[in-house]
Amino acid sequence: MFRHTPLRYGALVLLASAALFQAFTAEYFGLEILTEILILAMLVIALDMVAGFGGMVSLCHGALLGVGAYGYAILSTKVGLTPVAAMGGAVAITGAIAWVIGAICARSHGIYFIMATLAFGQMGYSYVFEAPLFGGDDGLGGIERLDLALIGLDLNDGRSFALFCLAMLAAIYGAAVLILRSGLGRSLSGVMHNEQRMRALGLTVWRVKADVFGLSGLISGLAGVMAAQHVMFVSPGLLSWTVSGEALVVVILGGLGTLVGPLLGAAVFVLLKHEVGALTSYWHLVVGVILIAVVMSRANGIFGWIEARFGARIERRAADAVRDIDPREVKTDA
Amino acid sequence: MSLDLGFWTLQALNALQLSMLLFLLSIGLTVIFGLMHFVNLAHGALYALGAYFAASVAAVGGYWAGFFLAPVAVAGVGVLLYSGLIQRMRKSGPMAQVLVTFGLIFALLDITRIVWGDLALGLEVPELLAGRVALLGVEYPAYRLFIIALGLAIFGALAFVLSRTQIGAMIRAGVDNDAMAACLGINVERLFFIVFCVGCALAGLAGAVAAPLLSVTPDMGLQILIPTLIVIVIGGLGSLKGAIAGSLIFGFVQTFGAVLAPQLASVLIYALLAAVLVIRPVGLFPAKG
Amino acid sequence: MLETRNLDKSFGAVHVTRGVSLKLERGERRVILGPNGAGKTTLFNLLVGELSPDSGSVHLAGENVTALPVARRARQGLSRSYQKNTLFDGLTVEENLGLAAAIHTGNATRLYTDSLARPEVREIVAEVAEQVNLMPYLHARVSEVSYGVRRQLEVGVALATRPLVLLMDEPTSGVGPEMAKGFHDLLNNLPRDLTLLIIEHDMDLAFDVADTITVLNYGEVVFDGLPEAARGSKLLKEIYLGSWEDA
Repeated sequence: MFRHTPLRYGALVLLASAALFQAFTAEYFGLEILTEILILAMLVIALDMVAGFGGMVSLCHGALLGVGAYGYAILSTKVGLTPVAAMGGAVAITGAIAWVIGAICARSHGIYFIMATLAFGQMGYSYVFEAPLFGGDDGLGGIERLDLALIGLDLNDGRSFALFCLAMLAAIYGAAVLILRSGLGRSLSGVMHNEQRMRALGLTVWRVKADVFGLSGLISGLAGVMAAQHVMFVSPGLLSWTVSGEALVVVILGGLGTLVGPLLGAAVFVLLKHEVGALTSYWHLVVGVILIAVVMSRANGIFGWIEARFGARIERRAADAVRDIDPREVKTDA
Repeated sequence: MSLDLGFWTLQALNALQLSMLLFLLSIGLTVIFGLMHFVNLAHGALYALGAYFAASVAAVGGYWAGFFLAPVAVAGVGVLLYSGLIQRMRKSGPMAQVLVTFGLIFALLDITRIVWGDLALGLEVPELLAGRVALLGVEYPAYRLFIIALGLAIFGALAFVLSRTQIGAMIRAGVDNDAMAACLGINVERLFFIVFCVGCALAGLAGAVAAPLLSVTPDMGLQILIPTLIVIVIGGLGSLKGAIAGSLIFGFVQTFGAVLAPQLASVLIYALLAAVLVIRPVGLFPAKG
Repeated sequence: MLETRNLDKSFGAVHVTRGVSLKLERGERRVILGPNGAGKTTLFNLLVGELSPDSGSVHLAGENVTALPVARRARQGLSRSYQKNTLFDGLTVEENLGLAAAIHTGNATRLYTDSLARPEVREIVAEVAEQVNLMPYLHARVSEVSYGVRRQLEVGVALATRPLVLLMDEPTSGVGPEMAKGFHDLLNNLPRDLTLLIIEHDMDLAFDVADTITVLNYGEVVFDGLPEAARGSKLLKEIYLGSWEDA
């Protein structure tokens, strides 16, 4: 179950403004970084949905992004579908694969679940690496972006593409909120809190987990499609465990289960990556240290920390300002 | 594909060798889980460290120096990790510990690159084991037989320790119910520490032993981690029986799969993993449940 | 309505349930008594499907449900409250009830609408909250309410699936005497056609609410009949070794 608090609304407005500002004022490199942030943000929303709100910590979401990317590449370049059809197909395929993984791992929890998703993600990586259809280590190129000439947008222009990604991200965020606040989202929350009881009340638990994982897969697939269109090239590295691992680090860095936190985490992560990358090639060391530091700090990431520290205060002030809001309704989710 | 006995013997021996290597890795990981209830995802990175230590030491002192020193060095790293990180996370719960070790994978990946560079290292098979042995109709590399023998010996030693010694009994008690074991006066924290270091040493040994067969790269840690995780999920967490069963299943499915159905080979073991997760999520021989 | 035939269950050498046969009619209120270790909770686990019997069968509304998994049986009308609170901590009382009601009304997997916003769900939540006296606490979180209220919620959640048969495992455990009396009123609020099977230790309450009494000892049924007959039974006094006299 997800609730918008004043703090979360505020953060969203801030992030959206920053993104828009960047989109309209930045030049080439700035736009590239912005687009990278936006695509990563899509992926981490998908991951937070299952990990933060469903207790299913997954290490295969990078692979799901890869499936979406390769799906788009194959469907548009080799099968010859139009970009729109290829996008739809790629997203659907990723969602289906995610559903299957969710269904298979539904009876596994915690550590088992992580290990299983890591294994399946790696399976995807090996498969794509070895199958000749996918071009092996050389990857596939010649990927085209969506043609929005009908509405007067040229997506080959960096600025338009970045704005398009921002629009996609907004839609994805909205969809995630809708899902988490729906009956399915509540059931997911129930499953996370007390799976045994949900089963005893008559819920087909595995189905709920699989369905949510599948929905998360659809979003991840879309992120993959955008990634493929962004670079106009796909390589097996997209399915590497490091991508899945980095996605998880971003979610934890931002704040698990806050949905807004991971957005912030994505921005911080990508910016940091570029700063560090300019100084040294040992980025993985930094990622590892970040994860260890955040986990050991016991705070729920940056945004989780902000919420814990300032959330109550801000909410009391907001509640005072608008008397008819029930103070308990705006309490932060722990 | 021929039907002669020699061919099958060769494949069986290859399968057994892969199984033994995985066993060395999985036993440390699974007993650490059984006792401490968390999976040290950095186990593969420790294996890689073992290979790197062995290669470096062997360059100056010969293979056997590397063989004996690598486990010690990796156990030393284990001591650092335990006292520096893991002990501090004991109260935070298993998920936090798993995430910290996952962070370690990233960190150790680059640390390896910093210390040893990006190029692959090599390690030569020792003189003593460089030849071939005639066995059951085939000429099989002595070194691979050595790995098989080593794995079996360690399995035997561990089986003996666990079932016939005091410390083995304490470990089994701790795996069964650590709170109760502590009430009985068993110093469970010290037991954790010992088991953790032995597990790290075994990972280091596995690395040292595997180094002559594979190239020593920073990536080798994660390459072996996935098969190790599959082994313990299929075999069942926390038990010696589970580790050996899982290792044998993986080794034979992978080896014979690659020979009999090359297209399916890489997917086959994952299909098996999926089947186990659906039908019997706790694995074949878990310590509990 | 609820029937078991020769239910048998062993855990290794321990024979926990021996040939238990029960038959409850619709609307019947039966209390199960028995010393600790008699196999009462195991019997409940066998009834709901968390455990599989070694032999014997379970029948719900005439249908043999022995092979059905927990969730299926629940959907067919079998509900249970636990001896140890099995609630959704971190959620509000209303949300707890809402989860159960949503499952019952088919809203648990809706994608576009909030289950708690649906009228049929809200209706059940309101009704159950009335029945178990939870109205004042609807918007409070489980972690914020007292143990007694949580016990009420424990029953409430089980009721919110509008079951045909409700199994209650020591509903008043850990609760003070005033609350226990309140529980008597709670039971009176329940629909009369709801079949109840209650495990209890509180003798006064047991004899107060029961239509029939079943006594288990070492896994088998040693008494099955009317409360008056149970009161005078020497066998029961022996089983409880005097602790019954104080109740």
